[in-house]
Amino acid sequence: MAWFVGIDIGSATSKGVITKDGDLLAHHLLPSGTNYKMAAEKLREELLSKASLSQEEIAYTVATGRGANNVLFADQQVADIICCARGINNIFSSVRTVIDVEDQSSQVIRIDEEGRVINFANSEKCAAGSGRFLQVIANVLRMDLKDVGPLSLKSENPVTFTTGCAVFGETEVISRIAEGNSKEDILAGVYKALAEKICALVERLGLEEQYAITGGGGLDIGLIKAIEGKLGIQLLVPPYPQLVTALGAAIIAAEKCQLTEG
Amino acid sequence: MYFAGVDIGSTMTKVVIMDEDEEVCSRIVGTTGAEHRRLANKVMEEALKQANLPFNEISYVVATGYGRVNVPFADRQITELSCHTKGVSALFPNVRIAIDIGGQDAKGMKIINGNLVDFVMNDKCAAGTGRFLEVISDALGIKVEDLGSISLRSTNKVKISSVCTIFAQQEVVSYLSEGTPLEDIVAGLHDAIAGRVVRMVKRLKIEPDVVLTGGGANNIGVVKAVRENIGCEVLVPEDPLLSGALGAAILGKETVLKALAKGEPVPKKERRLEEATFFT
Repeated sequence: MAWFVGIDIGSATSKGVITKDGDLLAHHLLPSGTNYKMAAEKLREELLSKASLSQEEIAYTVATGRGANNVLFADQQVADIICCARGINNIFSSVRTVIDVEDQSSQVIRIDEEGRVINFANSEKCAAGSGRFLQVIANVLRMDLKDVGPLSLKSENPVTFTTGCAVFGETEVISRIAEGNSKEDILAGVYKALAEKICALVERLGLEEQYAITGGGGLDIGLIKAIEGKLGIQLLVPPYPQLVTALGAAIIAAEKCQLTEG
Repeated sequence: MYFAGVDIGSTMTKVVIMDEDEEVCSRIVGTTGAEHRRLANKVMEEALKQANLPFNEISYVVATGYGRVNVPFADRQITELSCHTKGVSALFPNVRIAIDIGGQDAKGMKIINGNLVDFVMNDKCAAGTGRFLEVISDALGIKVEDLGSISLRSTNKVKISSVCTIFAQQEVVSYLSEGTPLEDIVAGLHDAIAGRVVRMVKRLKIEPDVVLTGGGANNIGVVKAVRENIGCEVLVPEDPLLSGALGAAILGKETVLKALAKGEPVPKKERRLEEATFFT
């Protein structure tokens, strides 16, 4: 009987899971803030309390994500694309292409039937290809991020953005509002721009089904529809898209533990 | 005879009025703003007042810049690349590379004997434009015009690793929370913007004289960082914002003189000093 922990410290949100015999026992999410060490500590406390466990009962902990090095209680750090690939393989074994859309980056990962990474492409230099772009626009429109996707689906005439830049996009949105465009048409245009960036990454790796979306982007129906429409594909969406990478970390933790014991 | 150049940039509107000896008698810099995009006539009126001239004394008006179509009283529209080349060459006859860091774009021009032979430009990404500094000074709670003098106090500038303005803003906030001195952060920002612009301009093969114009040239920290990134002297005109408008006025003068020399009528438009009634 052994429990394993996966901790994923992302730029915006920190995610943690505890697994037992491959099953998800407890999970928790919290904002990463500016102090990743504190976020990691808090995450551990919450996870242990939710699972009614003490630290001694945890057999192995794997940390991943941008702030992985700040997880002082981890036994090992593993790259996030490896964890994401393992996590999605555990949920949908048929998936060969994972589109992981996060706050500060997007990555597309090609995986094999065992959940091993074959190739990947990412955009991390520019907010235009990441969730941050949406956050910026939602702020301009004074909308909650969770309402943005559903509203965009009502659009019949999406606006076109001339640059991909999130900063200039903000200005353009203000101009479009002044010109009298509706919120839904503006938002649909934003999704179109975002999907173009992300789909370019997918096309760089070559199309191979089946497809899944993970990260915060997996919670966004507007983005899912925009990507599906652009590529003409179906996206599988896991029940907790933000937790996939942390789950993968916990699965890797279990394997590491078996290896060391064996 | 008097000639006017009107340069409507994304952020600032500039007007120059000069006489036939190219003696400048009026120079005005005003903000463009969303509301004022069609109010080029207001800035022009201000310039006429400064020169103490009525509008009908102006022989020719050339409009340039990204808002040049919103100047209904202009006789002619000319692209900013041509006007910048003209203006910078008039001020610095030996210019080979002109770099303009504007509010929402940045460009590099290769000039040989006063002619534009090649150019590079970025208007797709806020990084490497004035907007980068605007967004971040906002986050730092300081005025963009104070950045230059603040950065000169720096002894140990930080490295800004993000290219994207939005990520850089976040990076700056985390530097602040770590207690990094403000001047070191600001110096790092100037280095980031200069590095990005210079990398782009290097495609033109940089050779002296190098001239820097636009709002970026008004910031001593940016000028210093551009010098360091290029590794040679960088000349800055007295009014870095006005070179486009100056070039426009000179091109207007040339148009009139050419027509007069040929004995042809000056190709003037029927014009009144009024606000633009359309948007583009």
